[in-house]
Amino acid sequence: MMLLLAQVESQPFFRWDWVFRNLDDIWDRTVEHVMLTLIAVTVGFVISLGLSLVAIRWRRAYSPITWATGIMYTIPSLALFAFLLPITGLSVLTAEIGLVSYTLLILIRNIVAGVDGVPPDVLESATGMGYTARRRFLEIELPLALPVIIAGIRIASVTVIGLVTVTALIGFGGYGFFILRGLGLFYSSIGTTQIIVGTVLSVTLAVSVDLGLAATERALTPWARKKVPA
Amino acid sequence: MIELSHVSKTYPGTIAPAVGDLSLAVPAGETVVLVGPSGCGKTTTLKMINRLIEPTSGTITVGGRNVFDIAAHDLRREIGYVIQQIGLFPHRTIADNIATVPRLLGWDKQRTTRRVAELTELVDLDEEMLPRYPAELSGGQRQRVGVARALAADPPVLLMDEPFGAVDPIVRARLQDELVDLQARLRKTIVLVTHDIDEAIKLGDRVAILDVGGVLEQYAPPADLLRDPANEFVADFLGSDRGIKRLSLIPVSSVELIDGPVLGQGASRDDAEAMMRRFEIDWVAVGGDGTLAGWLGRDDLAGRDDISGITLRPFRTRLDVTDSLKEALDAVISSHTAVAAVFERDRYVGMITTEAISREIVQ
Repeated sequence: MMLLLAQVESQPFFRWDWVFRNLDDIWDRTVEHVMLTLIAVTVGFVISLGLSLVAIRWRRAYSPITWATGIMYTIPSLALFAFLLPITGLSVLTAEIGLVSYTLLILIRNIVAGVDGVPPDVLESATGMGYTARRRFLEIELPLALPVIIAGIRIASVTVIGLVTVTALIGFGGYGFFILRGLGLFYSSIGTTQIIVGTVLSVTLAVSVDLGLAATERALTPWARKKVPA
Repeated sequence: MIELSHVSKTYPGTIAPAVGDLSLAVPAGETVVLVGPSGCGKTTTLKMINRLIEPTSGTITVGGRNVFDIAAHDLRREIGYVIQQIGLFPHRTIADNIATVPRLLGWDKQRTTRRVAELTELVDLDEEMLPRYPAELSGGQRQRVGVARALAADPPVLLMDEPFGAVDPIVRARLQDELVDLQARLRKTIVLVTHDIDEAIKLGDRVAILDVGGVLEQYAPPADLLRDPANEFVADFLGSDRGIKRLSLIPVSSVELIDGPVLGQGASRDDAEAMMRRFEIDWVAVGGDGTLAGWLGRDDLAGRDDISGITLRPFRTRLDVTDSLKEALDAVISSHTAVAAVFERDRYVGMITTEAISREIVQ
């Protein structure tokens, strides 16, 4: 034990030289991390929008939909991948099924809440002036629900970025790849360096995406920040 | 223009109809106000005209066409609609809000822009408001935008559901005046719902008084309602000050004016005193030939042989023949001389007294 500690102390804690030697690898994993996230959130949003439309149209469907997606949300990701492996194997599909399933509850709740939050007088005047139901949804309800919907996309994205690291167990992982490999080399400074690189980059990506989406929301909803001064 | 024939509406799960067997004809170019206590079905009736609520039975025609023969959204694009909360689209600028129906109708951009500019002027809205969002406007400004938006595609019919219910009384009075002016120019067929009888009297060419269950108690011009309420419900609803309310509808020109105690400029002190005796007052007016210079009191005559050198006091309240008897009454009871001088433009035409006004109330 004493020997091990002495060995750890004798080496630098963080190895910048490892970082510079592996820049190409880090870049590839960045692309992988972003792609896995992008696909998961996009597919998750499309599915959620569909299910939300069903829930908005037929209110009675809302409860079973949230119930089912809520169960998906609570399954531990490790268990889900273990369950999927015999069916879909070590494939992107396995990774994405897992990731997408964690976005659904968040996105559906926010889409439905956003649409429900549109003031009834706005809906009445829209219908009263001759909007068809479809056009009213696309031109009035959806844009007005946007702030709440984007809030959902932000939470879903941050959640997925964290979860992508877990897919390292089935051969993907983005930055999670470095974390997993680092854990195997835990007592070497090469190991700790990789854990730190994976974690810091993953957190940085999550924060950047969150800020980016917040800026997008501001740009898309100029009306929401204009208030009468007096 | 709009005709409701034996229309009824019973909401699912209720037994008593919200509106039962209502027939009502709204002539083209007139403002008809539906008024009554809550639960009288006035809003239900209004919303059946543009099919926001589908009647249980009966027929409704607008411009001779049965509303059920037209797709609901097409029908609504031809009928302006204004609601109490206005319902402007918060995510669209004022210009885009006004352009709502022209867009739905597929007007080209140039025509829409031109129309928006016209309407901005029509409802007296500041052009600087156009690129702003609804949240940046005051309640009164928003209401004007609501009216402009309803008029955008120049619909022959305008439905207004408590349009001024959400603004403060001062702004409300101004918006009501503006609607009267607007209607004098546009001559739309307007159906307006309110619970405020004074608003109904002020705005309506005809007023329909409804009782609970959509029962039409009386349908008549406001002056007729006030003079001759059909039953106790209508009389109660009009209020105990119905005589005074009616005065606001009658112009000064419709009552007989008196010549009044008017002397020529060169009259003597004796003439003045004789005039005061005759009218049992202590003042006389000075003027003649369509002019009125002012008045003098008994005290002013002290130590004079004629009235020529006396500084005259001005009549503080001047009425025009187009003013209402309500304004005349206010002028008379608050004036020192207990009469008010009436002018037709600048020409003096006579004086109005409390007797003349009360004769009109009793009639």
